[in-house]
Amino acid sequence: MRTKGDFPNINERQAEGVKLDGTPYRVLVVDDSMFVTKQIQQILTSEGFEIIGVAVNGEEGVEKYKELHPNVDLVTMDITMPKMDGVTALEKIIDFDKEATVVMISALGKQDLVKQSLMLGAKNYIVKPLDRKKVLERIVNSLKR
Amino acid sequence: MRVEYINPFVEAAYSVLTEVLNTEVKRGELYLKSTSMSVLGVAAIVGLAGDVEGRVLFDMTGKTALNVTNAMLGSMGMETIETFNDMGKATITELANMITGQAVTKLHNLGFTFDLTPPALFTGENMEISDQRVEALIVPMETEYGKIEINVAVRER
Repeated sequence: MRTKGDFPNINERQAEGVKLDGTPYRVLVVDDSMFVTKQIQQILTSEGFEIIGVAVNGEEGVEKYKELHPNVDLVTMDITMPKMDGVTALEKIIDFDKEATVVMISALGKQDLVKQSLMLGAKNYIVKPLDRKKVLERIVNSLKR
Repeated sequence: MRVEYINPFVEAAYSVLTEVLNTEVKRGELYLKSTSMSVLGVAAIVGLAGDVEGRVLFDMTGKTALNVTNAMLGSMGMETIETFNDMGKATITELANMITGQAVTKLHNLGFTFDLTPPALFTGENMEISDQRVEALIVPMETEYGKIEINVAVRER
């Protein structure tokens, strides 16, 4: 028989975006779509993450990563973007900091792209459309690794 | 135009629309349009290049675009909009991007390789798109927020 203790109390649950020391995970969002940027922000901030930067193309993403380093815990990276695509930007970020936690978020789920991203050092790959559960699950897993 | 190229777009549109609008989507009768075709008011266009080349257009009226935007924003707890502004444009563009991305992934898994351009958005009344070289296949999708026409014009290289 289940006792009351088997059911987690929602009020006691630690927000996913907060580290053990009580400070939020700091996220850099790289995406050329205002819609997606807002959507990711909405999902992550509701769980206590802090968005510390937004970049609208790969080039800006790499620059912002370098500026913010070492105060970035996670990067969400789109793939199809003007100026510099997300796979190239991922490569440059990993070149600069091989410990970087980068999660690819793209409408494209092509196997070769997924493989290439993971080989280059991306921690995870999320295919759009985004739903809250999928995004949080994958991002939290990436931070644990 | 071979049906192998069309089906992935139709399937992707169906699955993405059902998911993001969280509503029933019905496919209308297919039809062909040639040369100049009128556009309903808001059209997101994505270019394709590779094994096949051409373009896919997601076409709807301004009213439908506003309804669809608000359905997508609302379902995520985001602020809805009164008029079709930059946020509306970004939302419809992203809708086109999600559908095309999923279609290209399906096509890729079937062995076709090509790339797509990021979507561009056109808005305006009485617009026409002309391309003498290729016929377009129109796939209407009916939703409670209005009709979205998927207009596919591709040819083999």
